[in-house]
Amino acid sequence: MPHPLHRRWRMRAETNHLNARAVAAWSAACLVIVLATTNPVYKTLVLAAALAALVAGAGFSRTRRLFIAAGLVAAFAVVLNFVSAHLGATVLFTLPEQLPAIGGPYTLEALAYGATGGVTVAAAILAAAPFSLLLASDEVMDALPAALSRTGAALASALNLVPAVGATFVQVSEAQRMRGWRPRGPRSWAEVAVPVVLTSVESSIQLAESMEARGFGSGPRTHMSPVRMSSRDWVLVVAAASAVALFVISIAAGWAGPWAPYPQLTAPPLDARPLLACVLLFTPALQWRSRT
Amino acid sequence: MAIAHLDHFTYSYPGATGAALLDVSARIDSGLTVVTGASGSGKSTFLRVFNGLVPHFHGGRVSGTATVAGLDVLATPTRVLARNAGFVFQDPELQTVYATVDREVAFGLENAAIPQREIGARVNDALHEVGIEHLAGRAVRTLSGGERQRVALASALAVRPRLVVLDEPTSQLDPDGAELVLAAARRATGDGRAVIVSEHRLRRLMPAANSLLVVDRGRVTEADPAAWRPSTAMSAPRLRAPGGEAWGVSRATVGFGGVPVLESAELAGRAGEVVALAGPNGGGKTTLLRLIAGLAAPMSGTVTRPPGRIAYLPQNPVAVLHRPSVRQEVQFTIDRAGGQAGERPERILNMLGIAGLADRYPRDLSSGERQRAAIAAVLPGAPQLVLLDEPTRGMDLASRSALIAIVADLRDRGAAVVIATHDEDLQAALADRVVDVAHGKVTERAPHAMPA
Repeated sequence: MPHPLHRRWRMRAETNHLNARAVAAWSAACLVIVLATTNPVYKTLVLAAALAALVAGAGFSRTRRLFIAAGLVAAFAVVLNFVSAHLGATVLFTLPEQLPAIGGPYTLEALAYGATGGVTVAAAILAAAPFSLLLASDEVMDALPAALSRTGAALASALNLVPAVGATFVQVSEAQRMRGWRPRGPRSWAEVAVPVVLTSVESSIQLAESMEARGFGSGPRTHMSPVRMSSRDWVLVVAAASAVALFVISIAAGWAGPWAPYPQLTAPPLDARPLLACVLLFTPALQWRSRT
Repeated sequence: MAIAHLDHFTYSYPGATGAALLDVSARIDSGLTVVTGASGSGKSTFLRVFNGLVPHFHGGRVSGTATVAGLDVLATPTRVLARNAGFVFQDPELQTVYATVDREVAFGLENAAIPQREIGARVNDALHEVGIEHLAGRAVRTLSGGERQRVALASALAVRPRLVVLDEPTSQLDPDGAELVLAAARRATGDGRAVIVSEHRLRRLMPAANSLLVVDRGRVTEADPAAWRPSTAMSAPRLRAPGGEAWGVSRATVGFGGVPVLESAELAGRAGEVVALAGPNGGGKTTLLRLIAGLAAPMSGTVTRPPGRIAYLPQNPVAVLHRPSVRQEVQFTIDRAGGQAGERPERILNMLGIAGLADRYPRDLSSGERQRAAIAAVLPGAPQLVLLDEPTRGMDLASRSALIAIVADLRDRGAAVVIATHDEDLQAALADRVVDVAHGKVTERAPHAMPA
């Protein structure tokens, strides 16, 4: 008769459990496609697939901050290219050349190229986000091959310390404020930064001591949780692999040819086969249920 | 046959001039061994010998011999000794590797390469042994300090070691949490196992102790547990009556991210009065203290404070300590407070019994010494309002007596004092009023006889 804890894991697998290896396959497929193509339509489809998967898996409220952060990073990429690349035929407006760094013509082509870069960055961030938003550190660790299990345990423990660093920053800055410290310029922050760094290092050493005291590193490890792939996980892996294969073939066959906005903006070419590859990336949006 | 044995064991930390452990000979048999001693006496160093963290993790110079379960500690790495000697550290947050309780308890078993089919049963047994089966599957971050320490104890027991060592496991816990952890430690002595507990709160442990070891400046001597008597109650007679209202919290709601922790809190204190905030871990004592300090803004309601300096000791003393020496920490506050006429660091360092540590780097001190250094660092400058968050954490009896004397001195000089503390002895010695902070509410206990 299976042990109650094993029964619980199986129930988890049968309900809303995600297998980290399947998630990794999907994330990798998203990254490969978004980085392999210059076509903004395909990139946007990958971004949409990542957005849909995250909302399905984590709910909008948990992902809102991430979306805002990704949006800000993408916006920065757009603005950076728009301001710095004065190339292209369609001039929207011109700033005097005398203005250092920002002077010159501002073009629709530079804006389009920047937007494509922004979509790439946002899609890459969101495609990797399930590892932190939807999976616990032990789930990621269990998915690692045996040769990497020690690295994984160290990584999991390091991840557990991340929130403590934020808490330490608050504690130290409050304690220093109460002793009369006030932020006056970048150098004054050393009064806070130094104790935060020292405390974080001490915490890491104490955690390392604790791990050593619990036998970490004594030899080959076993795993408590059986890492099983459900049929849903296999569907996701097959979909991700098919998407990558179809997209790579599309590039090789010229169905997903390159696109460049310069010197004059043109509509990106479209083909049903690479489009289908991108649509396959929406599979988790149909599979995943909110874990909130 | 002894489960562990030290014979003429001497140990010095790397770069230290003196020995942290000096010619220690001790024998650990099955049952409960209690280790006690002043802060900084070498208790933690002594305990770390049993799983080889001293000397393997910390380095340093060693002479003599130590054996645990028949293994030579000096010749056996800690990661191998771990199968025979489980260890529970002081800070429940800094010994968690995994995010969920059952995975956390399984960590040692995974490291020992226990077959997967056995791990579940052993995790369940260990959770049952410390009375927390109901926590299986819970996220560790959602647990109270007491629950976390019992998870740590279950993690140690799951490996089925012959020896379990607990280093001041209750120093950060409320009385209920501490009692549950110590009860679990007492139960763990079954099956011929040896359990070593280092503690300052001896009252709960001594009736069950088979052996008592006293650590004093690196030397370890055996004492008769039956001869142990509880310490006499501390007191701090008041020299003058409290003055007018110095601070107040009126209909204040405070919390994080729009979620209230305390609602409609109503509380006030007078100059020269000590108010103790009691209640369970996570009840909101620290939040109330931060509200009074001005570190947390009320979502509604008002807070009034006296003019002048506010001294604030956070729960984590290392948040305060970052100067090269203890003396410089104290001088820093004196300077920031405007350099009170003739105030010198030595005065408070002497009062706290740490004048001898004045030139030491604060972070190199033991946890109890750090706590005293942090107190010395925040109290100078004639504060009008003194806010202390768990000030006796990790402190021995002598240090607590010194703290009581200092707080009584500030009180008699007219400072209003608020102390968040689990320490019932401290409450009894100093508090004019005790306020319970729990479940989002602030409730005054039946008033003590107030001085006129």
